[in-house]
Amino acid sequence: MEAMAIGLDHITKTFLHRVKGRVTAVDDVHLDVEPGELLTLLGPSGCGKTTTLRMVAGFEKPTRGRILFGRQDVTGLMVNQRNMGFVFQNYALFPHLSIFENVAYGLRVKQMPAAAIRSSVTEVLEMVGLTGYEEQFPNQLSGGEQQRVALARAIVIRPQVLLFDEPLSNLDAKLRVHTRVEIRNLQKTLRITSIYVTHDQEEAMAISDRIAVMNRGRIVQVGTAEELYYRPGTDFVARFIGRINSLPATARRGEVSPPRLDICGHPYPQPGGGRQAAAGEAVRVFIRPEMVALVGDPAQGDFPARVTARTFLGEKVEYVLEAGGAPLGATAYASAATTLHPPGATVGVRLPAEHLMLLPEEKDLP
Amino acid sequence: MTAPAPSALAVKRGRDPTLTISVVVIWGFMALFILFPLAKILVLTFERGGHFSLANIIEILGHRSHYQAFWNSLLLGGLVGLLGTLLGFFFAFTAVRANLSRRWTLFLDMAIILPLISPPFTTAIAMIFSFGPRGLITYDLLGIGRFNVYGLHSTLFAETITYFPIAYLTLKAILAGIDPNVEDMAFSLGSGRWRVFRTVTLPLTIPGLANAFLLLFAASLADFATPLILAGNSFPVLPTEAYLQITGLFDLKGGAVLSFALLVPAFIVFMLQRFWVGRRYYVTITGKTGSQTAIKSVSPWAARLLLAGCILLSLVIVYFYLLLFYASVIAAFGANHALTLKHYRVVFTEGLKAIQDTLVIAGCGMLLGGLYGVVVGYLVGKKAFVSRTAMEIVSMVNYSLPGTIVGIAYLIAFNDRPIMITGTALIIVAAYVFRYGAAGIRTTVAILQQIDPSIEEASHSLGAGTLTTFRRVTIPLILPGLFTGLGVVFIRSMTAISATIFLVSINWTLITVRILEKMTELELGVAAAFSILVVAIVMAVTAAIGGCLRLFRQPGAPSMSSILGG
Repeated sequence: MEAMAIGLDHITKTFLHRVKGRVTAVDDVHLDVEPGELLTLLGPSGCGKTTTLRMVAGFEKPTRGRILFGRQDVTGLMVNQRNMGFVFQNYALFPHLSIFENVAYGLRVKQMPAAAIRSSVTEVLEMVGLTGYEEQFPNQLSGGEQQRVALARAIVIRPQVLLFDEPLSNLDAKLRVHTRVEIRNLQKTLRITSIYVTHDQEEAMAISDRIAVMNRGRIVQVGTAEELYYRPGTDFVARFIGRINSLPATARRGEVSPPRLDICGHPYPQPGGGRQAAAGEAVRVFIRPEMVALVGDPAQGDFPARVTARTFLGEKVEYVLEAGGAPLGATAYASAATTLHPPGATVGVRLPAEHLMLLPEEKDLP
Repeated sequence: MTAPAPSALAVKRGRDPTLTISVVVIWGFMALFILFPLAKILVLTFERGGHFSLANIIEILGHRSHYQAFWNSLLLGGLVGLLGTLLGFFFAFTAVRANLSRRWTLFLDMAIILPLISPPFTTAIAMIFSFGPRGLITYDLLGIGRFNVYGLHSTLFAETITYFPIAYLTLKAILAGIDPNVEDMAFSLGSGRWRVFRTVTLPLTIPGLANAFLLLFAASLADFATPLILAGNSFPVLPTEAYLQITGLFDLKGGAVLSFALLVPAFIVFMLQRFWVGRRYYVTITGKTGSQTAIKSVSPWAARLLLAGCILLSLVIVYFYLLLFYASVIAAFGANHALTLKHYRVVFTEGLKAIQDTLVIAGCGMLLGGLYGVVVGYLVGKKAFVSRTAMEIVSMVNYSLPGTIVGIAYLIAFNDRPIMITGTALIIVAAYVFRYGAAGIRTTVAILQQIDPSIEEASHSLGAGTLTTFRRVTIPLILPGLFTGLGVVFIRSMTAISATIFLVSINWTLITVRILEKMTELELGVAAAFSILVVAIVMAVTAAIGGCLRLFRQPGAPSMSSILGG
């Protein structure tokens, strides 16, 4: 079956909240998911990502806007007419049915002949590595196994679209990493267009073709993991994906145009691309900790800083420094030859100008 | 795939005509069979000469014997509550914490469940056989000829034996819910066993103990059969006084006032349970046990002692039932111990009508009560409508009230136009449906709360429509609720008497009423045979329902003991 694009055409969802009155949970979300792609909706809790997913599934109806599967407008279609597979956060297995019957459920609804059901279910259970579990019941399985049954049940009906609602959040850390690789492999093999919801940025980066970062009901930025990490569109994205330093800076007066930025007494050229700071303006400049370079001799750096804490993590060392009264994080990838700076020492800091970012600020960070 | 017009598919919440009709119909039935009789009893109590008046109450309770009965009822209830809770805790603690082998646990469970499924007289009859004028223990064993079996002591003992299983089931669930790791934690902080029990286990159980006490207090307050046989003239209690007032003196008003006096403490207990105890549970039953740890809170010696105590008490119960059986197969207890089946012959000839009537009524009540339980449970547990909470509370009223009140209320309400159904089977069936159907409501609501909405969404996402989802997912999941409802209504219909003693007639009678009649006619052998028959039927039905429940292997399914605990 040819993979199908999913279109979210300017959808908005408002609820009537008992206390807060009318609340906009999803605000004019516009998104195109390419055929065969896995796109992740990433954001803090309450950002509207699950509501968006539930509208694609049909559990909720958008207040405004349309949902398209390929060229078909499915906005008015009931859930059971959308030919979509949904994997729930709590698995939602039918407790009164065996594993076989759980997976067969969707095929029985379609009134497929018994022999075809048997072969389809057997094939899918093999795919998720649960052969031999047919006669067990959901409460006899571990969390990871239950999650794989949920996955098998969703893909056995050969859906055009696969939707995941935080499917790994109930698993322990190790199983989470393992299962997300399985989900990704299966999705690639079957080439089913998928939307995946999570609040875990590492999971999102590991599993997705593209990520849509959401905040306060809106999509802030869409891009690959690298794009979001190296070229975040706003300070919210920069903070949400990975870790980042936020440094106070002032644009110098009466100098070259555009004015250079003063960070801890050292002048830096303004970062290109984004916005420009006007002379005299106080701004915040962003830089990833691993881009911050430390040298043992303070005179060799752009400006001096004092080491306040050091965490040795094997392949890397994380420092917390203090420079000009503000904290600064730095990550150094370690080899046997690396010199470790002891807490209390004064070191020199170098900020590579090409990695400095001046970002538009979003209000109300989580 | 063609898309139907969106408007045709839009689900309009809150404008579901089926819902509206069901709610209106259910309210109609509740108004007729719950609120109307209760209103009647209040009117009869407070009305004199067309005006509101307290004169009736003052007049009736002014009688010394009635006034005494009120305090006797409270005293008996308090003592039964205290002793029963103690006994229940003792058994529950042993079952949960004494590392019993499976076989012992099973034995204790069986012995404890016997009083729960028996008609209410069985312990009382066995008491007469043991401690009566020709009692096996008092006369034959100890040679006491003139031991007085009637009075507070016997009633207290019989009621404690009959009702402590309720405390056992309540407390067992609580104790089992206490994570042994919490006790381990106290040990690791240096506490000894006794200190852990005193400072950790016991405080965590206190809300459960309070709840068990209230349950037993209410059960004793409502108990009619035991005091009728064992209390005698010197220790009148309210339910028996109300009964005598109506059947002996044909004084409906007096009966109504006396049952109102019963209603006040019953109502206080109901409110305490709902708003005080209910909010003080520390232990949440998650079904998830912490990591397995050996129980260290009871020393091996203490465990052996606890078990020995429990076995001794269980043997007392077993002895009562064996005695009952023995009395049913001999000619005359205390006089002629020749084996005979003549009592059973009486049961199956003269008593056949009562058996048939009881089975017909229990059968009808079971079907209607089960249906009522699931429908109301589904509405209350799943649907949103304006009068939902009110419906939930009203549905529990007849269940919570002492049976005597319900019986008298029905007698008063349906004795006259517009609805004259006194003397029919309908009135008895209605009494059972609206009293014991509440158990089905409770289980259905509990099960529905455990069903995550996403399970139904999952069904929709797999292509199933609303009807298919209801048929293939929702119905199978609430079936245990239906079975529970069926089981409780049937068992209670077979064993109850307090409400229906007022509602039987020449045309429709019940086994339990026949047992009482045989007791008063001093045909104790026949009474014993009837009791054994009821126990046998109830056991068979209990086993059948337990088997049905086991077919549904799922986390939410209640066990048989939870059915009987209600």
